[in-house]
Amino acid sequence: MPRRRSDIRTVLKFGIVALAVLAVAPFFLDIYVVNILIRALLLAALALTVDLLWGYTGILTFGQSAFFGIGAYACALVFTHWGFGAQWALLALFLGIVAACAVAALAGWLAFYHGASPLYGSIVTLALPIIVTQVIFAGGRTTGSSSGLSGFPTYYWSSETWFWIAGVFLVVITGLAWLFVRSDMGRVLVAIRENETRCAYLGIPVSRIKILLLVIAGTIGAIAGFGYAAFTNVVAPELGGFLLGTELLIWVALGGRGTLIGPVIGAILIDVTSSYLSGSLPFYWKLLIGVLFVAVIVALPQGLLPEVTRLWRRLIGRRTRMADAPTLEPITAQEVGRGTGQPLVVRGVHRHFGSLQVLQGIDFEANRGELLSLVGPNGAGKTTLIRCLADGYERSGGTITIFGRNLGKWGPDRCVALGIGRKFQAANIFATLSVAECLRVARYRLDPPSIWASGTTLRLPEAALRIVEETGLAQSLNTEARHLAHGQKQALELAMVLALEPSIVLLDEPTAGLTRVERERIGAILTSLTERERLSILLVEHDLDFVREISSRVIVLHQGQIVLDGSVEEVVGSELVRNIYAGASLDAGSGPT
Amino acid sequence: MGVLFLDIVTTAAILFTVASGLMIILGVMKLINFAHGAFLAIGGYAAFVTTQLGWNPWMAIPFAAVVGFVLGLVIERVIVRPLYARPLDAILATWGLGIVIGQVITIVFGREVQFVQSPLSGAIEFLGQSYSTYRLALVAIGAILALALIALLYFTRFGLNARAVIMNEDLARGLGIDSTRVRLTTFGLGAALASMAGALITPLISVDPNLGLPWLINSFMLVLVSGVSIPGLIVASLILGGAQVLVSSYVSAILGGLTIVVLAAVILRIRPQGLFSG
Repeated sequence: MPRRRSDIRTVLKFGIVALAVLAVAPFFLDIYVVNILIRALLLAALALTVDLLWGYTGILTFGQSAFFGIGAYACALVFTHWGFGAQWALLALFLGIVAACAVAALAGWLAFYHGASPLYGSIVTLALPIIVTQVIFAGGRTTGSSSGLSGFPTYYWSSETWFWIAGVFLVVITGLAWLFVRSDMGRVLVAIRENETRCAYLGIPVSRIKILLLVIAGTIGAIAGFGYAAFTNVVAPELGGFLLGTELLIWVALGGRGTLIGPVIGAILIDVTSSYLSGSLPFYWKLLIGVLFVAVIVALPQGLLPEVTRLWRRLIGRRTRMADAPTLEPITAQEVGRGTGQPLVVRGVHRHFGSLQVLQGIDFEANRGELLSLVGPNGAGKTTLIRCLADGYERSGGTITIFGRNLGKWGPDRCVALGIGRKFQAANIFATLSVAECLRVARYRLDPPSIWASGTTLRLPEAALRIVEETGLAQSLNTEARHLAHGQKQALELAMVLALEPSIVLLDEPTAGLTRVERERIGAILTSLTERERLSILLVEHDLDFVREISSRVIVLHQGQIVLDGSVEEVVGSELVRNIYAGASLDAGSGPT
Repeated sequence: MGVLFLDIVTTAAILFTVASGLMIILGVMKLINFAHGAFLAIGGYAAFVTTQLGWNPWMAIPFAAVVGFVLGLVIERVIVRPLYARPLDAILATWGLGIVIGQVITIVFGREVQFVQSPLSGAIEFLGQSYSTYRLALVAIGAILALALIALLYFTRFGLNARAVIMNEDLARGLGIDSTRVRLTTFGLGAALASMAGALITPLISVDPNLGLPWLINSFMLVLVSGVSIPGLIVASLILGGAQVLVSSYVSAILGGLTIVVLAAVILRIRPQGLFSG
């Protein structure tokens, strides 16, 4: 299994140091502080899950407290009403986890679907703690309603023991999360945060990943909540409440979203200080946190930890160590979805927005080894047609078959599985990922990423590899994609699309804004893709010279209809096309109304 | 039956009044103001101060509106303006702002529950029922508010500019509309409306620094369900408020508190753009 050794070593090194500190800490700390810290360590684990969801994946969640509450009440309810002992404790933990998973799966199913706005996900997570709290209120005597449950039998271990349990739990969770976010799968989470649309069009099942992540985060939250209830012997509805959910966000934002360690430190420091000051200065402390929170969100959105690390690096004069770029390994493209028969058959496709007909009665087919150009004036419906081909939800009617298989009403990730690769008009990449990481994310379907390590080789089909090498991307595999020049960004996205090993490639103005040299290079690559690998390429292009040079066939769209479908010569010589581009209107009889 | 009907109508009017400030800001600025609850609290305390000073209780409404407007202008300038490009962060920053306002109120007025004198007391006969005069007055106030907002949006220069910014901010700016100013005024107006709503509801509830929280979440849900339009908000308030009253009366008061949140989440799943949006 390929992996980057240094990550595991880092985790082991820091893990052992952290465990050593935890082991001796109770002997140096006041018993009051130890007790406060136990709670803070468990809440830090919960804050970590918020960072996974929000900091890494971009899901702004208000609802992680709900899972904490579920775990806590599972413990309290079983110990109060059923019985106490090792088997009951295990049962309670099991029930807490099952309930949390079920709630997370349901919430995730509701919140994350193709086309959902990020805000809707937040709304669902906002509803969660409110529902949990109200259910607890509604539970009457069973759940203790607003006063909660207390005094149930539990393990009256010493504070040190509880401290060690909570500490080991936090260190283990943090270590695993650290490996996870730095693994190839962790990069996929960042890719989802940076550009969810591009992810979907790379065949990544974004919704499923988000739901799974929420289930994992819910499980961790429930375990932490269980530990909290077993330790304190007191549960109250506030444990699952909205306010705790927002407090978690504050800790994560102040510590530094997307850093794991920042949120953990933030949670521990702020929670411990809050408990300390709750007696003497409660209002001023909360005021200070509020002011700090607003200031950080406005001025330092990445939080405090990155600033501290930067300062530290400057003090000791060390540069960030770059990880080694993976070795590129050429493979032969499989051409996903390829079968017998015609690659693409489009029949009667139409698309309307309300009463506005953008496409109507589109019929055409694309053959193997064909470079088919779609031309037409602005607003002719070219990009809409590309959209209908790459996302089954887009068209209002008509059928699209790919190698005899019906596209149906599937989202873009399923279209990729049918063999379609789409390049967007503007370069659509993952700004904060490196070139190598962008390419690896594109390999998600064919080379499933590891969830705990980062691969040392990157397999790419020859066509993608050729682009990477010819455009100089191979020399900048570690460069963040946002620092690339415009032409390189376009090339990177094309390479990402080809990394999908598609059998049909949809390109929306791939040469826009490129220099002549870059344009010729792309043209040569496209020609070789159709001639050598017999792919079908659909190209939307405004540059008619470019179209004339490389196309094998041209389709002219005008006002949402195909007005001409023929060879380059036919189209170039056509009076009709000249009229359309010159702005003259069509015959009243043949033009759409 | 008559009481139930009146409960539904008055609840809807109250919800509409409370949510309108949030909606104005979301509509024009595309920004979710999570400090909305804190502005409600500011209005509540403005009413409390009015009572303490021995002023006419009706004075609480303009007083709260002025306080809210001024504070809104300052906050827009200092905190909200840098966040236009980061809508999810704006939710967090305004939430943090709400904490700050809540703590300042606590420090000034203490955290204990206060009471405010109601401008109207007692009950009158209406539709054959004896019903709270003040709740009925709130229906009239809500109706006046809705008409005033429509008039503001459709019959004033500010409304024209605001509608231009809603439809296409870049184009509006290109045409010489000072969209920064529109945003500033809008935030002030939204804060003033919230604050006024706070003063209006406090005779029905007690005043404490966190009084806004449950209202914030319900308003947020209502505004999204409404599709961010004034008629939409009226309908959403009637449907969701009505459902809340029905569940509270026939099932349980605790579950009634959940109705708006749960129903809104379901409605938005089916119609993400809300009820009244094309």
